[in-house]
Amino acid sequence: MWQPEPVLAFRVGIGAGIFSILFVVAVLIQIVLVSRDWGAERSARKVTRERDDSHRQFLRRLDHELKNPLTGLQATLTNLREAESDEEIRQGVENATQAANRLGRILGDLRKLSELEYQMLEHRPVDIEQLVSEMVSAACSLPAHRGRNVKLLVSKVPVLPTVLGDRDMLGLAFYNLIDNALKFTTPDDAIEVRIRDDGRLLFIEVADSGAGIPLQEQGRIFEDLYRGENASEIEGSGLGLPLARRIVVLHGGDIALRSDPTQGRGTVFIIRLPAEWRGNVTKP
Amino acid sequence: MKDRPTLLLADDDATIITALTPFLERAGFHVLTATNGKDALEKAQSHRPDMIVLDVLMPRMDGRQVLRTLRHAGLQTPTILLTQVGDALERALALEEGADDYLNKPFESHELLARIRAVLRRSQSGQASLSTAWRLAAHGLTIDRRARRATLNEQVLDLSPKAFSLLEYLITHPDEVISRERLLQLVWGWEYPAGTRTVDTRMFELRKALGDDPSDPTFIETRAGEGYCFIAPVRMLP
Repeated sequence: MWQPEPVLAFRVGIGAGIFSILFVVAVLIQIVLVSRDWGAERSARKVTRERDDSHRQFLRRLDHELKNPLTGLQATLTNLREAESDEEIRQGVENATQAANRLGRILGDLRKLSELEYQMLEHRPVDIEQLVSEMVSAACSLPAHRGRNVKLLVSKVPVLPTVLGDRDMLGLAFYNLIDNALKFTTPDDAIEVRIRDDGRLLFIEVADSGAGIPLQEQGRIFEDLYRGENASEIEGSGLGLPLARRIVVLHGGDIALRSDPTQGRGTVFIIRLPAEWRGNVTKP
Repeated sequence: MKDRPTLLLADDDATIITALTPFLERAGFHVLTATNGKDALEKAQSHRPDMIVLDVLMPRMDGRQVLRTLRHAGLQTPTILLTQVGDALERALALEEGADDYLNKPFESHELLARIRAVLRRSQSGQASLSTAWRLAAHGLTIDRRARRATLNEQVLDLSPKAFSLLEYLITHPDEVISRERLLQLVWGWEYPAGTRTVDTRMFELRKALGDDPSDPTFIETRAGEGYCFIAPVRMLP
């Protein structure tokens, strides 16, 4: 009987072994790829579902936010039609103006949000201390906040870096946070805006000693049109914080929040932005 | 009837037409109305109004197309575009199409009236509409709107895009006092309580680049409590 030569038998064995290993590896790769596809498909479905949910939620909130002033406007128009005195007419016109202004504010904020999706941001060095100081004085000069005091604390050793970005947009983000702090605190509460840097990042903190934000709302206050339970009495579009966050994120930064209403320690919003150590700034 | 200027108001929204028509009539205009672009084009060509207020988004032909057709036909009727979206691109497009001015919706009726009067004043004084020119000059300043570039005594100015847009609007509306709120709405497209300071900051940047002394200005004058005014004589360049 023919016997294969030992060397040949060894080579056939090696070949079969390599083939088996390659086969197993190929099968394993296939399994990994298929399961990765399944995983990717599953996570894509999840992302789509989440996007749809958030879209639906946005529309529900928008519907609610628009209906309120519209209902007020309709009631006012009915009153105006039936008005019998000049005073009733004057009151009606005032109410209608307020409702129209509220609708205008919501629309204006929605427009800002949508412009942020595609508008090119400027990319110039911004003097953050100067900008924050401007926004503090602008917010405090509003009739609703007149007499309120916001302390500005700047830690600059030896000098504060600038931020590369869009001055107008960053100003809007800071303004929204300062205005938010003023709206959700009483005149007895303290508000501080602190600026510092760690060489790499610039920190802008807006801190207040108010009642704080309920824990269950903290994860949601940056959602478009979200209004917390204690916000229903307070004027606003529900878009101020989402706008601020989107602007900061577009500048490569983020906003965090620290608030413990159970301890009555107030709220701190912390903006982090990449520091820029070169370039000139526009200073009025 | 000619002592009352004729104004063509074109908008597909019936509530806007019915609310603005009596208001503009009370303000002294003879108002013609159109509810779609084709109708607006026909009325503009047949009635030759003194002024057109044209909505951008209209059925059958949009406002920009109407304006383009009119300008190609050689009709230079002063026109204000009512822009819908209010985004930066739409604002830029409005002027590029040859609109004399534009207004973002929503607007107050008195704001529209002020715009109409300003545009009419300019056109009645025989001044050509500067909004249609690509290149403009005032003293040693030239601006090239297509290239988004400004030069002063042949030196290119380092202006941020917003400061350029601000200069562009002011130079195309010389001798007109424009409030900070209006500049904010026109150039930025949105407003917020601190916004007027934003305008001042950009104005500072612009003046610095132009070397313009606010206490003795060559180009931009501040009118206390009113706004800003471009005071240098402006001419179109070929």
